[in-house]
Amino acid sequence: MIGLIKSTFGDKVQIQLGQLGAAAITVNNGLHRDVLKTMLAADGKTGITAITGLDLGATIGVYYHIHTSDVFVTIKTEVRKENPKTQTIVDLHPGAAFHELEVADLLGVVFEGHPTPGHFVLSENWPQGVYPLRKDVKVNEIKNVPTPASETIKLPENERLVKIIIGPQHPALLEPEKFAVTVDGETVTKVEPRIGYVHRGIEKASESRGYLQDVYLMERICGICNSCHAYGFVGAVEKILKTQVPPRAEYLRVIALELNRLHSHLLTLGHAGLEIGYETLFQYFWRDREPIMDLIELTSGNRVYSSLITIGGVRRDLKNTDIPKIKTTLKELRAKLPFYRQIYENEPTLKLRMKNVGVLSKQDAINLSVVGPVARGSGYDVDVRKDEPYSAYGEIPFKEIVYTTGDTWARMNVRLDEVEESINIIEYAVDHIPSGPFRLELPRSVPAGEAVHRLEAPRGELFYYVRSNGTDMPDRVKVRTPTFANIPSFLKTAIGESIADIPANFVSLDPCFSCTDR
Amino acid sequence: MIDFLMLTFRILIFPGFAFLLLLTLFCDWMERKIEARLQNRVGPMVAGPGGILQPLADFIKLLTKEDITPRAAKKTIFKFAPLVAFTIMIFALCFIPIDGASVLSANGFSGDLIIILSFATITSFLLFLAGWASCNPYGTIGSARVLTQFLGYDIPLFLIALTPAFIAGSLQIANIALFQSTHLWPFIILAPWAFVLFIITMQAELEKDPFDVPHSESELVGGLETEFTGAKLAFLHLTRDVQVVFGSALVVELFLGGPYGPVFFGASWFWFTLWFVLKLLVVVTISEYITVVFARFRIDQVLSGNWRILLPAALLSLMFTVALVTWVYHPLGV
Repeated sequence: MIGLIKSTFGDKVQIQLGQLGAAAITVNNGLHRDVLKTMLAADGKTGITAITGLDLGATIGVYYHIHTSDVFVTIKTEVRKENPKTQTIVDLHPGAAFHELEVADLLGVVFEGHPTPGHFVLSENWPQGVYPLRKDVKVNEIKNVPTPASETIKLPENERLVKIIIGPQHPALLEPEKFAVTVDGETVTKVEPRIGYVHRGIEKASESRGYLQDVYLMERICGICNSCHAYGFVGAVEKILKTQVPPRAEYLRVIALELNRLHSHLLTLGHAGLEIGYETLFQYFWRDREPIMDLIELTSGNRVYSSLITIGGVRRDLKNTDIPKIKTTLKELRAKLPFYRQIYENEPTLKLRMKNVGVLSKQDAINLSVVGPVARGSGYDVDVRKDEPYSAYGEIPFKEIVYTTGDTWARMNVRLDEVEESINIIEYAVDHIPSGPFRLELPRSVPAGEAVHRLEAPRGELFYYVRSNGTDMPDRVKVRTPTFANIPSFLKTAIGESIADIPANFVSLDPCFSCTDR
Repeated sequence: MIDFLMLTFRILIFPGFAFLLLLTLFCDWMERKIEARLQNRVGPMVAGPGGILQPLADFIKLLTKEDITPRAAKKTIFKFAPLVAFTIMIFALCFIPIDGASVLSANGFSGDLIIILSFATITSFLLFLAGWASCNPYGTIGSARVLTQFLGYDIPLFLIALTPAFIAGSLQIANIALFQSTHLWPFIILAPWAFVLFIITMQAELEKDPFDVPHSESELVGGLETEFTGAKLAFLHLTRDVQVVFGSALVVELFLGGPYGPVFFGASWFWFTLWFVLKLLVVVTISEYITVVFARFRIDQVLSGNWRILLPAALLSLMFTVALVTWVYHPLGV
């Protein structure tokens, strides 16, 4: 792929191998469309992972992180601050829509030709010209922005259509987010999302804290997959530091990450039961989740925010006396899985509510760059653990779960099967854990540089971009959470279906909006 | 004078209002406890032994809460519909033989089965009005669903209720119950298909899982109850609980031989009440079991299930019963 770009564009592109993925391709503003076009034409699985915007002084960098079936590359381009305009890539790849809106909101880059411009993260009455992630904007300035005024809702022109607002407060959404759903009778014709109700500005806040403090800050992005967020940041920083952490630390990290996955998947499987009115399933799954929480406490000392993974390794070793407890707990959980599998296979009311609901085709999954169980439920086999093994995943055998039907049922079954795979991984890891140190002492300040880190969080691929400027505080941290990448699939699958299917369809994405609103 | 005092006692204390209210609260507690145990929870525990006073505590708590009437609501209907619905439901229960006789008269009158079924319909309609008058989108959608659901399920319910009536040759509840006792065969054995259908239809009438679409929390917040607070909400909840008791009592009368059963010693009213309550609790348990093991249907699935499956099944059941009674049961002398 990189050779193809080199031969097609010659001197017009500047390629640094091994930077920000397999290669960083620096192009002039405007040429990024052509590079992307070439990549899309050459590889059917090309998709966009994230767009990072960053303040580079006189210019604003717009980095397109692109994944193909074999490599991960970054297309770097810059726009001038006086005239921050560039062309959209949404027409080439629809999955880029939300990424562009976010960069436009937070850094003031204008993407010409974007189909739905407007505020996406910031409130509607946000003052013109204040772009929070630019370096000249002080934190106090952002804090003084007035509270949002009431919004006016545009009514649909056609009288047959009714607009139903789901959220920001709604019992089907446990977190504040808004979806304006236009319905014709009971059929959904349009969904307009709006995020940002609990935006905490973590990316901005991380720029004024030390690296070690940032690890804890990043953990706070998501309560459920907190180890994943910590590891995302730590992994990127360690790449800039060019360190190799001890193998024991890698195994301990894998155990922490997989416990996160078990906890998250069991939670979602139960929550899905609640959304389809199957309270018993919910109670059962959450009962079985409790022992996993106990394991997290056993291995990290904390029940929810494990604070285990840190720069240079982990903060706490695994005691050999704890291993039998881990094994018996996992064995008990494994013994319960056939029962749940049987419910998913045989329970008629559950199948009525989940089968053929929210069907996402494989091609749509690729076009929208969805990640994680949502992609794997549609037969799109992306799993960073397999595609680009990190930590100790390269040494641990496990299956990649792929279902092809693409409906809610398939997405939930991917999670159910992954629970079993996670148990296998943890059991393998505790059996084969190497001895040795579990932490390296690393310097507080990080040399100038930049790195990306991708990992498979329970909800899908989690992406971190970290840029350092040689001090003890990062220059820019960009987080792309899995839910952010998966929301477009919901907008697609909800259309044409009954409004009563929205909760079931929606929960099958395992949405986490507090992650999305970093 | 004695007669008048007796009637007052029967209406107010036993087996009338006070007894029915206690029975309702007890059934509510039992429902919650069964559901909790089946779901691996503990259920109510604090108020009274085993949490048995929890429904009463909840009722009193709601009575003390602030009572809000939304500005947009249709005030009169909004205020009175819950109370009237509760009254009608209790009134309907008064026609059901509990201690060997119903509250109002010993044997009721011919056609009282039809009367109490229509009381149940009126109650559902009042609940619909209550939600509709609240002028809240969730409330109106919830009550529209109540209306669609009970319009659909009332027809099969009537048709299936006719099966025991036909076998007994009477539309009088007391006679239907007595028939089963004198012939020693409750209709659950003589017409088990009708029993199964009746339980399913009752589940839909009572808006319990898998038919609880009017209350689906994940779509409709509180359904028709969304805008209700305080005493009005307390009475809405109580109405629902009385509906459950009423539906179960109907199953007891029509299929399980009513209150009648062996009298071992002493007064017959005591034994009849005991049998009635025990049979009622069995039905409540069955209904709660169904609630726990199923997920909720979607509204269109509920409706197509009604018109495509349950209504034809109810008609077939009636035809089958007529044929069976005419050519098999009567010649055999059942």
